[in-house]
Amino acid sequence: MGGDSMRDIVRMIAILTLICAASGLTLSLIYRITKEPIEYQTIKFVKEPAVKKVLTGYDNDPILDRKKIVTGTDERGNPIEINIFPAKRQGETFAVALEGKGKGYHGLIGVMVGISKEGKLLDIGITSHSETPGVGSRVTEASFTDQFRDLSMKEQLQIDGLSGATYSSKGVMSAVAQAIGYVDRFKEEIF
Amino acid sequence: MSIKDEFTKGLWRTIPPFRLVLGLCPTLAVTTTGINGAGMGLATTFVLVCSNLFVSLLRKLIPTQVRIASFIVIIASFVVIVELVMKAYFYQLSQFLGIFIPLIVVNCIILGRAEAFASRNNPVMSLADGLGIGLGFTISLFVLGSIRELLGNGTLLYYDTSHPGFYVMWSSFEPFTFMLKPPGAFVALGILLGLMNLITQLQARKGG
Repeated sequence: MGGDSMRDIVRMIAILTLICAASGLTLSLIYRITKEPIEYQTIKFVKEPAVKKVLTGYDNDPILDRKKIVTGTDERGNPIEINIFPAKRQGETFAVALEGKGKGYHGLIGVMVGISKEGKLLDIGITSHSETPGVGSRVTEASFTDQFRDLSMKEQLQIDGLSGATYSSKGVMSAVAQAIGYVDRFKEEIF
Repeated sequence: MSIKDEFTKGLWRTIPPFRLVLGLCPTLAVTTTGINGAGMGLATTFVLVCSNLFVSLLRKLIPTQVRIASFIVIIASFVVIVELVMKAYFYQLSQFLGIFIPLIVVNCIILGRAEAFASRNNPVMSLADGLGIGLGFTISLFVLGSIRELLGNGTLLYYDTSHPGFYVMWSSFEPFTFMLKPPGAFVALGILLGLMNLITQLQARKGG
């Protein structure tokens, strides 16, 4: 009797282990197959509208041609990566879009910045923010973002901040400055 | 019962949300448009068919004491597969269905079929059962979603802003947005249930 129940328990453990192992194996396989498409889709739906706004006149798919650049390491030693979206004409990169982050009034403001090979700002688009609706959120309006057009990345940024939204305006400016900094640092890799 | 009977019973006699009144959470929550309903239905069908097949194949191997645990592992694996594939190829649908995709694991239709049918029948019968019930669930969600979409938005087969489907109502039609809200789901489901009962009664009277 004791031997029987022992055998039953071993059988139960063995079968459950087998089922779980088979399931884990299958799932890791599916995960590896779908990893690349999922990343593509996520970037496409979240970032593509902003990339389309700041880049024009390209004939490639900037999302598909994206490059990863390691900008540093976080506190655990893992690399911090950013995506660079190149705009190409006949295979030649003439501009890039990349995202910079700056501290606004409430958390980080994400700004997609388009920069041409000659070092000119093409346009910017706010990708994410949680600024006060109606006050800080005005930084997403064209009247503010259009000021960044055609500025040179070599010079000091001269922008009229929004009255009542100083922190938000500064957040956008520091996000743009960060993006410019990345382009400056990794110029050879990007173009 | 023949294979055909097992298949067709899910389409009318035991059609899940109406006859069994099971799986109501996704039925009420995601049916704001026909496409969303059908997407949810198809995802559930895939999980149901696969879990029925595997439970049936393994039914002699799995000890009865750990059968529920085994069924859940099998079901959960297929749910994760659906979730990953949907994110990779139907991103917007997966964004809309959101938490309701992982929640297929606890959909009582699936565990119910595994326990009540697949663990006692051969794989072919279990496949027919899963397909029938799944298809019945998909059709129910599609019909319910289409009715709510038609009355609440005036369109049919709306997917997203670049695939807006067809606007079928007259131009001065005032959208009945109540139908898109949760109470509208209950009202639409109730009316459909009533209609189905009426049809069944009329059939029975004609037969008797």
